[in-house]
Amino acid sequence: MAQVTAVAEARPSSHRFRRARSRIPVWHLTWLVLAALVFLVPIYSVVQFSLAGIGPGQSPFHWYLTVFDDPMFRASFWLSIQISLETVAVSLVLMVPTVFWVHLRLPGLRAVMDLISILPFVVPPIVLVVGLLPFLKNITWLFVRPEVLSLIYVVFALPFLYRALDAGLRAIDLRTLVDAAESLGARMPRTLLRVILPNLRAAIIGGSLLTIAIAMGEYTVASLLEFNTFSVYTYTVGTSTAYEGVALSFISFIFVWGAMLALYLLGRGGRGAAAVAITDYK
Amino acid sequence: MATVELRGLRRTFGSVVALDDLSLEVRSGEFVSLLGPSGCGKTTALRIIAGFEWPDSGEVLVEGEDVLSKPANKRNMGMVFQAYSLFPNMTAQQNVEFGLRVRKESHEKRVQRARELLELVGLGSAMGRYPRQLSGGQQQRVALARSLAIQPRVLLLDEPLSALDAKVRVQLRAEVRRIQLELGITTLYVTHDQEEALSISDRVAVMSHGRIEQLGTPAQIYSGPRTAFVANFVGTMNKLEGTVVSLEDRVVRCGPLLVSIPDPTFNHPVGETVELFVRPEDISLELLANGGKLASGLVEGRVTSLTFLGPVTRVGLATDLGPIMADVSSAVALNLAADTVVGVKLDSSSLRSIAR
Repeated sequence: MAQVTAVAEARPSSHRFRRARSRIPVWHLTWLVLAALVFLVPIYSVVQFSLAGIGPGQSPFHWYLTVFDDPMFRASFWLSIQISLETVAVSLVLMVPTVFWVHLRLPGLRAVMDLISILPFVVPPIVLVVGLLPFLKNITWLFVRPEVLSLIYVVFALPFLYRALDAGLRAIDLRTLVDAAESLGARMPRTLLRVILPNLRAAIIGGSLLTIAIAMGEYTVASLLEFNTFSVYTYTVGTSTAYEGVALSFISFIFVWGAMLALYLLGRGGRGAAAVAITDYK
Repeated sequence: MATVELRGLRRTFGSVVALDDLSLEVRSGEFVSLLGPSGCGKTTALRIIAGFEWPDSGEVLVEGEDVLSKPANKRNMGMVFQAYSLFPNMTAQQNVEFGLRVRKESHEKRVQRARELLELVGLGSAMGRYPRQLSGGQQQRVALARSLAIQPRVLLLDEPLSALDAKVRVQLRAEVRRIQLELGITTLYVTHDQEEALSISDRVAVMSHGRIEQLGTPAQIYSGPRTAFVANFVGTMNKLEGTVVSLEDRVVRCGPLLVSIPDPTFNHPVGETVELFVRPEDISLELLANGGKLASGLVEGRVTSLTFLGPVTRVGLATDLGPIMADVSSAVALNLAADTVVGVKLDSSSLRSIAR
């Protein structure tokens, strides 16, 4: 009887709770709609413009098909992807062990790392490149190869990757995990690969994604060094045929979103999905 | 099972001396606790044994072999940490298997050993769970199983229960002791909880300022503290001041009382002021009838506070000897209230004199 009473009493309160949750203040909704409009209207305009200016009998996706048919598009796109992946690889190889070591053994250097990591924010890319050019020109075999862009983009991506890794390492009890692995007989490389990296998965994926976005979208340096990357190609096409340029912009949007989604899904699958209720110690 | 010997360990952090000529011998299969307040150096000592810290000077011998030249991953010592240290990306079973995987044991052997150990710590049904799906107590059990999986020479536990709630702590410490006895493994246990140390250890080393103040069995530490620090740190003590009246009979005047000190080593000249210690449970109270007189050997006390502790109640008293605490049965304490006047009797056989 007591249980029946309890259930009967519980219902109205849970309904009240749900109603309270579903009631969103009007001004919250207003800001939400305004923010959505700021984000969606330009995208809508891009899509609409990329479907316009089509002659009679042509496909509504004429400009997209034209872009895809252009061998320069494929070449520039793959070049940018290649540079992005190289940038991610070099950045991770350099930054993961460095940030790990600073957190573990040289915590006093964290302030210095913080300072270094914001330099690319405060020094404009063009200044960085002008400063780097005399040095890079001396390495002739590298200067003429697109890999040179990867090395420069590593510097541009440094703040983003460093912040992501720093946050990831702060979120785990690094010292204890390393000590525990060591006491079980593991050497540092195994500890890093088997224990630390899997727990930095989200940070690495997030940092990599930002690095890809930077490398895919960078124009100034690529143009200056005369590499026909995707952004340079987009600009060139856009100056001759606006519709094609806009279609290219939308393609790059889709690519970045797709990459984000893929990396997000990859990150979610990391720690075993089985959801078991937390049980109290008995 | 191994013996552990610490010889003259010294470790400083800047101007702070964490360990000051620390020496300790742990016998094979023995359970020794390092007990002391925060900052006394107990964790530093354990981390030096484990290989996570190095001393400025001194030796750490395991089975007679100096292990200081070996890195932590070559010392084969199991360690359970104060913080939850399970690898978050691995299940309980994978955590336990980690050390065996490092040792390149076969899959069958790893699985069998992980199952045995998780069953030993009562978590045979939680092998597939991730740390985030386990409670704090369960995580520490898995950490214990993981540290035992590698068949360590020595088991080191650094306040493994301090993050757990009181009830779980009591249950788990009993299990730690049961497992230690079952395996007969030499164990060093660091804690600041005196009850924990006294209840599970073969011997307790009470530490202060990087030194061992006293090493002994729990009964020796509790009943015969040799320094004022140990007397005050372990359990509750009443401190009284007295003047030596007779050295021959070891008689001390304590306020209006003349008490005889049972310690045959008591050796203070007549007239010297000495500190005497007596535990609250060694003081008895006598209710005085209205207008009743105090019997000889009693001092008058007025109740100032009553603290219910379950089976006993701690009574605060204002006496001619100074403020005193006495533990009386809670049933008896029902007859007491603030300002009740009682007769206070010291059990002279339990009085201890400690050199200043």
